[in-house]
Amino acid sequence: MAGPVISARELSLVFQTADAPVYALSKVNLEVEDGDFVSFIGPSGCGKTTLLRVIADLEQATSGTITVNGMTPQEARLKRAYGYVFQAPALYPWRTVERNVGLPLEIMGFDNAPERIARNLERVNLKGFEKKYPWQLSGGMQQRVSIARALAFDPKLLLMDEPFGALDEIVRDKLNQQLLELWDRTKKTVVFVTHSIPEAVFLSSKIVVMSPRPGRIIDVIETNLPRNRTLDIRETPEFLKLAHRVREGLKAGHSYED
Amino acid sequence: MSAAPAIAARPVARETGNAVPVTVVCLCILLAWYLAAIPMNWVITGPKIEAAGGGLSNILSFSWNDARPVIPAPHQIAQELWKSVFTVAPWSVKSLLYHGWITLSSTLLGFVLGSLLGIALAIAIVHVKFLAKSLMPWIIASQTIPILAIAPMVIVVLGSIGFTGLVPKSLISMYLCFFPVTIGMVKGLTSPETTQLDLMRTYHASTSQVLWKLRFPASVPFLFTSLKVAVAIALTGAIVGELPTGAIAGIGARLLQGSYYGQTVQIWAALFMGSFLAAALVWLVSVAERFTLRRMGEKP
Repeated sequence: MAGPVISARELSLVFQTADAPVYALSKVNLEVEDGDFVSFIGPSGCGKTTLLRVIADLEQATSGTITVNGMTPQEARLKRAYGYVFQAPALYPWRTVERNVGLPLEIMGFDNAPERIARNLERVNLKGFEKKYPWQLSGGMQQRVSIARALAFDPKLLLMDEPFGALDEIVRDKLNQQLLELWDRTKKTVVFVTHSIPEAVFLSSKIVVMSPRPGRIIDVIETNLPRNRTLDIRETPEFLKLAHRVREGLKAGHSYED
Repeated sequence: MSAAPAIAARPVARETGNAVPVTVVCLCILLAWYLAAIPMNWVITGPKIEAAGGGLSNILSFSWNDARPVIPAPHQIAQELWKSVFTVAPWSVKSLLYHGWITLSSTLLGFVLGSLLGIALAIAIVHVKFLAKSLMPWIIASQTIPILAIAPMVIVVLGSIGFTGLVPKSLISMYLCFFPVTIGMVKGLTSPETTQLDLMRTYHASTSQVLWKLRFPASVPFLFTSLKVAVAIALTGAIVGELPTGAIAGIGARLLQGSYYGQTVQIWAALFMGSFLAAALVWLVSVAERFTLRRMGEKP
């Protein structure tokens, strides 16, 4: 595909609240290329989730332009161009694992649903849990179901909003590793929101450092780490140098101040 | 003697259920009832007791066995129930089963109609914004009108255009029981979390897909809570619908006849029949609820 998957120019979003307008995004410029793994990192209120939601057409920008696959976000959403993974698994509790994964397939009218469900549950290592209900799974497994659900209709673009934010570090490490393998295997474009520096550096091919009040981009870092990396890479000097640069960016954006 | 291990010493709650407290409460009510029957029936039984020479045994036997007491003793009601349920043919007008069935049939029809109306109104209110503002006050106002005031009008108006018997009574039941269903279902249909709704948006799901795959399943627990209230007041509605019309059959008719002829025992027997029906209906809805929620993977 020619052209960037996502392209934002001077993108701004202002929420009108009762007392004062909130500048959630201010003049954001961003390009995401096909096959990128892009992380948005920053403290709460820096607009990283808002930016992701604008890409997904769950919020509308107040000024500037943004295209997804060369279309407006709305057109892209109507064409079901992306899979979205929320902070909470947002599984439907009355559906079994397989029927949760099958939900988008039912809605979009796929006829090979069973085969797709099986393939994607295997992708997230949840084979054998088809008939379980969400409450029977751990938090990490639930989030994996929601990833399988996002992958079920095979979107080229995966938007992930702090998907592992509520999980403990051990589970998070494991899921980061699995997600990376998935990205490497499927060659999807991933946009990933996080507030963890090691997570951002470990996963990304490109790190977008953001800062609050107004929400804006401070730094964009190309990591150039090998695609098939393992957790050990976090001990290497390159990794630490990248983490340092992210931290410096956050500091420059006053992210560590009150 | 060996010391029992500490861990076993802790008393374990026995699974006896609530049979004991229920029995105790029932016995207390029965006792209070029997005692209260003595002074309450005194107007009628007092002279008879005096004529018979007074004394405790006379007081008790007259107070608790009068044919037309102010308040019958529990065993009199039990006898009347037994007589009118088991000793007469179920299709005879003397059978409480017959009258119960008449009331039950209009209750059920009214309940089904009311539930459907309640669900339909809730779906409309959730989907069309101005309906929430324009319809809701009317729905609430409808419930502030005393049903006893409009029941005769409904019956008379419908009767004049040829609807008699089952349908007008059912409409009164429906009128009473759609309300809790509407209120409960509006709450239930709007109960999905923002992320669950956003998810549907990312799929570009249609409004009806959101309704059937998300809003409706999410509202099922709310629905059953409302249905339990609705089925009980549907029965009330059916009985009320039988009162002002001079109906000759049904629990309400039985109550009315009893009061015409001073047959208090018959009134009370009919009241108990009505309570049994209500309890049975609520129980049936609860069974359906448990079955449905289990099928929907509810955590046991």
